[in-house]
Amino acid sequence: MAANPMTQFNVYRIGPEIKIGVFDISFTNASLFMIISSLAVLLVFNIGSKKNSLLPNKIQLLAELSYTFVSKMISDTAGLKAKPYFAFIFSLFMFVLFCNMFGMIPYTFTVTSHIIVTFVLASFIFIGVTVIGFMKHGFGYLKLFVPSGVPKVLLPLIVVIEIISYLSRPVSLSVRLFANMMAGHTMMKVFGGFVISLGIVGGWLPLSFSVALTGLEILVAFLQAYVFAILTCIYLNDALNLHH
Amino acid sequence: MEKDQFKTRLEIAKKKISKKNLYNNNDNPSSIGTAFKLSTELVAAVAVGTIIGYIFDKTFGTKPWFILIFFFVGVIAGIMNVIRSAKNMQK
Repeated sequence: MAANPMTQFNVYRIGPEIKIGVFDISFTNASLFMIISSLAVLLVFNIGSKKNSLLPNKIQLLAELSYTFVSKMISDTAGLKAKPYFAFIFSLFMFVLFCNMFGMIPYTFTVTSHIIVTFVLASFIFIGVTVIGFMKHGFGYLKLFVPSGVPKVLLPLIVVIEIISYLSRPVSLSVRLFANMMAGHTMMKVFGGFVISLGIVGGWLPLSFSVALTGLEILVAFLQAYVFAILTCIYLNDALNLHH
Repeated sequence: MEKDQFKTRLEIAKKKISKKNLYNNNDNPSSIGTAFKLSTELVAAVAVGTIIGYIFDKTFGTKPWFILIFFFVGVIAGIMNVIRSAKNMQK
């Protein structure tokens, strides 16, 4: 019978249980795949930048293309002032991309399909951007919440609305990535289950769906990493160049 | 032989870069991403507003009132978010 499509998201412990106080910090399959994807990023870029040949091989091409891709993305959305934050955005993009892509390999675990992972990433970005904003503009950063040209009567309401909309940034950032990854992987498992339960007679239709979904999921995996990074750039742009 | 070919190709590529048309292709990656962006933008603001209202109710003991007010404020904030990001897309 078809297996439960949600079992692929189970987090289980690998190795001994480690506890600090009440916190369980044991090594899980999620941590394993985070380490695998970070190591893969390091490996690709180490090999890619080792031999700076004029005629690049595939790995060097990958490294150089992703470098120009992210650098173009930053200069397009956040301007030249955001150049110092290139390293952060680049590693963020690469980490999310590799986590998503590793999840596409059968029998692996998709780290980004858990909201706690994406929410932690998003809240780091949120806190970091807020700190940068206050460092660059001091208390003038609070002007972000007071749009110009608003009647005095409406001001309290507008400020509350602006604060809520500012606070909703990490939520929407994390929910977007998590929901995309989880929905896609669940759907793939469900269609895979249909193939088994319909057998050799009727299983061809869901099988073709499965193939198409796999292609779509690879697109989504890339796209969500891209959206995650580009929204970080947009928030950074708000913090660096105040124009409200 | 091959090196000469490569050199001429490199020259052409360098000229292209100097004309600065390397950064001019404004291609949209896909519309799925933007559509999904709008919907989460709307939902997230409502969720945040409701949570803030809940926290205020818990601390002040005014059970239904703050959650009601902040729910609707969250809805307004969500709609504003959507309008703002739609405006950004049109740029």
